Amino acid sequence: MARGFQLSSELIAGVVVGAAIGWGFDKLLSTSPFGLIVFFLLGFVAGVVNVVRSARMTPGNR
Amino acid sequence: MKIDPIHQFNIEPIITLGQIGKHTIAITNSTVYMFVAVGIIGLLMLASGRQLIPGRMQSIAEISYEFVASTIRSTAGPEGMKFFPLIFSLFMFICISNLVGIVPYTFTVSSHIIVTAALALLVFFTVLIYGVYKNGLKFFSIFMPKGVPGYILPLVMFIEILSFLLRPVSHSVRLFANMLAGHIALKVFAGFVGMLGVSLGAIGWIGGVMPLALTVALTALELLVAFLQAYVFAILTCIYLNDAIHPGH
Repeated sequence: MARGFQLSSELIAGVVVGAAIGWGFDKLLSTSPFGLIVFFLLGFVAGVVNVVRSARMTPGNR
Repeated sequence: MKIDPIHQFNIEPIITLGQIGKHTIAITNSTVYMFVAVGIIGLLMLASGRQLIPGRMQSIAEISYEFVASTIRSTAGPEGMKFFPLIFSLFMFICISNLVGIVPYTFTVSSHIIVTAALALLVFFTVLIYGVYKNGLKFFSIFMPKGVPGYILPLVMFIEILSFLLRPVSHSVRLFANMLAGHIALKVFAGFVGMLGVSLGAIGWIGGVMPLALTVALTALELLVAFLQAYVFAILTCIYLNDAIHPGH
């Protein structure tokens, strides 16, 4: 369970932060909804990058 | 029998000190358990003696020192030992407060995201400020992985920056979610014992043995998780600091 949380928190953090940045971007520059779409996807990508990285280097895998 | 698995996370003021603006400043149960954790660590470190042949307490203190020191050396290199006080404090604080939280009727400090977020942001800003102080603008080369073709570099850089910004979020959410979910699961299964007994009478009390056994097993698991999460927090801190000490690796 600990390991599952570890990896899922990476992905969720990615998506949530990406969406939050996108939402803020739209709010500031009134480009709705493109900022949200772009940043949501980028956040998802960054989340996946982090999942792969943490799966490679955290102790549970050694 | 009414069971509220969230009730254990309530923060109740014990002594109200005053107000800043509209916000009440009080010594809460969370504060008290933080002091308890710090007190236990202080006792362990200061009152354990310095004999040549260590006693039990001294052994624990020495093992925890060696453990954290070897973790730092293996992940961040010998230069990482500069940050030993920070990482050791983080590790011991999280570990002890998690372990204290397993004792029934206590409060788990790290089950609140504000606590873990504060710790994770401390690490994040330490990495950022130390990285820029030590390496100057070269620090930002961690956003530019080598061997990436030029036309795709802006996108990769952007994703790297975003993934750097995500670190404090996942760093804090991981610890918080583990502690929260573990304690809720424990409470729910323990609650089944009482619910079965009250609703089914004698058969229920006999059937309640199963959730009780599961509660015991979950407590053992939580003991492992409490230590493991402190370790994961410490090792991730080392890995992040490694970026600040040796960027471009």
